[in-house]
Amino acid sequence: MTRRGFLHAGGCGCALMPQATQRVPNRGLAGPLGAEAFRDVGTKVRITNVKVFGVTLPVKEQADRPYVFVRIETNQGVAGWGEGTLEGKAAAVMSCVEDFREFLIGADPMLAEHHWQSMYVHSFYRAGPVIGSAISAIDQALWDIRGKLLGRPVYQLLGGPFDPQGVRGYYHLGASTPAELREARDRAAQLGVTCVKSGIPGYFEWIETRAKIRAAIRHMETLRENLGPAIDIGIDFHAKTSPAVASVLVKEVEPLRLLFIEEPCPPENVAAMRKIARRSTTPIATGERLVASYSCRELVELGVVDILQTDINHVGGVTALWKVAALAEASGVKLAPHACEGPIGGLATLHVDAAIPNFLVQEICSRVEPGEKEKIWAEWMGFPAMRMVNGKFPLPDKPGLGFDLDERALRKYAFQGSRPMARVFHADGSVAAW
Amino acid sequence: MIVEALEHWNVREPGGERSYGVLRLRARGGAAGWGEGPPLTPAQIAHLRQIVAGQPVHAYKVLHARLGGRPGAAAVDMALLDCLGQISGAPVYQVLGGPTRNKVRALTDWSPEALAAGHRAFLVGLPETAFPNPRARFVTSVVERLESLQKEAGDGADFVLEGANRLPPGEAANIAAAVERLHLLFFDEPCALTNLAAARKLAEENVTPLGWGRHALRLAEIQDLLREQMVDVVRLDLARHGVTGLRTAAALAETYYVAVAPYHRGGPIATAAALHLAASLPNFFIQQTPGTGRDARQARAELAGADLETAADGYFRLPAGPGLGLQVNERALRRWTV
Repeated sequence: MTRRGFLHAGGCGCALMPQATQRVPNRGLAGPLGAEAFRDVGTKVRITNVKVFGVTLPVKEQADRPYVFVRIETNQGVAGWGEGTLEGKAAAVMSCVEDFREFLIGADPMLAEHHWQSMYVHSFYRAGPVIGSAISAIDQALWDIRGKLLGRPVYQLLGGPFDPQGVRGYYHLGASTPAELREARDRAAQLGVTCVKSGIPGYFEWIETRAKIRAAIRHMETLRENLGPAIDIGIDFHAKTSPAVASVLVKEVEPLRLLFIEEPCPPENVAAMRKIARRSTTPIATGERLVASYSCRELVELGVVDILQTDINHVGGVTALWKVAALAEASGVKLAPHACEGPIGGLATLHVDAAIPNFLVQEICSRVEPGEKEKIWAEWMGFPAMRMVNGKFPLPDKPGLGFDLDERALRKYAFQGSRPMARVFHADGSVAAW
Repeated sequence: MIVEALEHWNVREPGGERSYGVLRLRARGGAAGWGEGPPLTPAQIAHLRQIVAGQPVHAYKVLHARLGGRPGAAAVDMALLDCLGQISGAPVYQVLGGPTRNKVRALTDWSPEALAAGHRAFLVGLPETAFPNPRARFVTSVVERLESLQKEAGDGADFVLEGANRLPPGEAANIAAAVERLHLLFFDEPCALTNLAAARKLAEENVTPLGWGRHALRLAEIQDLLREQMVDVVRLDLARHGVTGLRTAAALAETYYVAVAPYHRGGPIATAAALHLAASLPNFFIQQTPGTGRDARQARAELAGADLETAADGYFRLPAGPGLGLQVNERALRRWTV
């Protein structure tokens, strides 16, 4: 039966009617703990299988991030996809998804929030990135199923879109010399791209030499000088600077009118980041390493952050990313979600972006010109996934997250095991942040 | 592993102005460990002896707590770690979980000779001024001196401005603002730390990194600075807090992403301890050593039986072990005893 046939056969969405009126016996599928309470108010759709895929691409810059894809199957023939790629820790997330199997098998997939709460609260230990990424993958798949069952793209279920033309995005800048930068500026203008992001060169000690400080300032000045005033520039400090070093940098580059400075120090110490934020009017962005909306509260409350960047593959999927936006909304804090993993999370994040009033811009870790990775994504999805048109990611119009992925397409990219992220060191051999 | 004897000598460094106390612990079985701190009175030495005698050498943290920052506590701490390293057949930095690095960034008093000798980071003092001094002229003279030193020493050289507790907060704030764009490594002890409100104002007004702590008696004083985001470099005095006190402070500072650069104006035994400490910390930044006047430096190398102060391209080598890796010259020690 086709999906649409299923949804419309014998009246409207009978599979979604509460069981109280259906009284269909549970065909040998024992529901998970707690499912009984929803017997009279849930649907008769049941999760029958949770499949986890590790996907290793033969692409150098993807070596540390084999994709972790999750496919949740149901007794109604509808399946949902989600992503929980965690750089450097693929196998741990895959294993963690398996740990959640018994939360899911036999459960009603429509209870996305209930399952989110159960996976998070019943883990007892508040989720770090491994649990967070596993929950993210499962939650995305549940939302994909919900959209497919209800016949709507997820962004419509979330109340969007704010911008029917799509979701404004930015690419990463490959250029660094003035000539390359001017070429990138012209190419971006041709394509309608309105925003790019770059990092700062080198690795930073707790206190830095003036040579290193000056090189970082010069790098940012060169970007603005050559990209011109018409493009937004985000600069990612990547939490490799201490508050002492970042304070100097943010103050000096204030006249460059950057769109944001990202992760000016590591994320655990909010007061330390506040110290940096107070040095400059340049907006501060952070959050890609944070899990669940709880972890963002203090940043918003203390006025530290202007832009939150939580990642739909780590924060806890559609459910948690939307909640981060909700808590930020009241304070006028914007969202520019991180996306540097595979195409499923990328497409999932567009749905949330489209449905929040405080959306700013969506990242994708791709260059202005597509490469090998983007070719594989298009081959999987059947369309150029996460490529912008006129500076915006088009919104999918299919139900759910908006793509059909045949799991057989992944076989070519069998899991080759976890690979660590970049490991770098200072001149004295001590550990440096990348 | 039991401490059997504690000996102590107050020495004055030949060719230098400085005095310090040298301490030796002897453990049952023959190991002897060296430590260094401020000069001590006979009563203070007797008191230390009473607390330390009969204690196991591995209980350095227990004794650090029990001695509670008394004069000589740092010397006992270093000597216990020296013994423990020797008995374990390992450098002190390995006892402490290191090495975290293969060389140690060096900081010394500015001189063209130090630059020629391989130093790349320098302490520069404030100019002497007559009272009352015109503020603008004073601030300008500091900026001009630093600019001219940066020019003279070249792009690879960096500077720490040593406020040394001499300025009132307002004047310190003027200087910190004026040197902001010179990108000093840090401004050390810009003013007296008796007035936290003034220090907070200084930290909030300027991005010049601030070093504090040379006069701090307790870890809690550093905690106050860290909690209020007022310090960028923790400068607790090695001679007062020892390796163990600095390690505790470093663990606290790490949670604020703040570096440690132990204050050190003593002798070569503490220098060795500082280098082992540096090699054990993740958030160590730079180690100060006393000035490089040639006579004093040779004298220190003779006393320690180790050349610890040769810098190559701005870094010291890690000292050898076991223990602190010293061959203390007892003849020199007795010759310098006052």
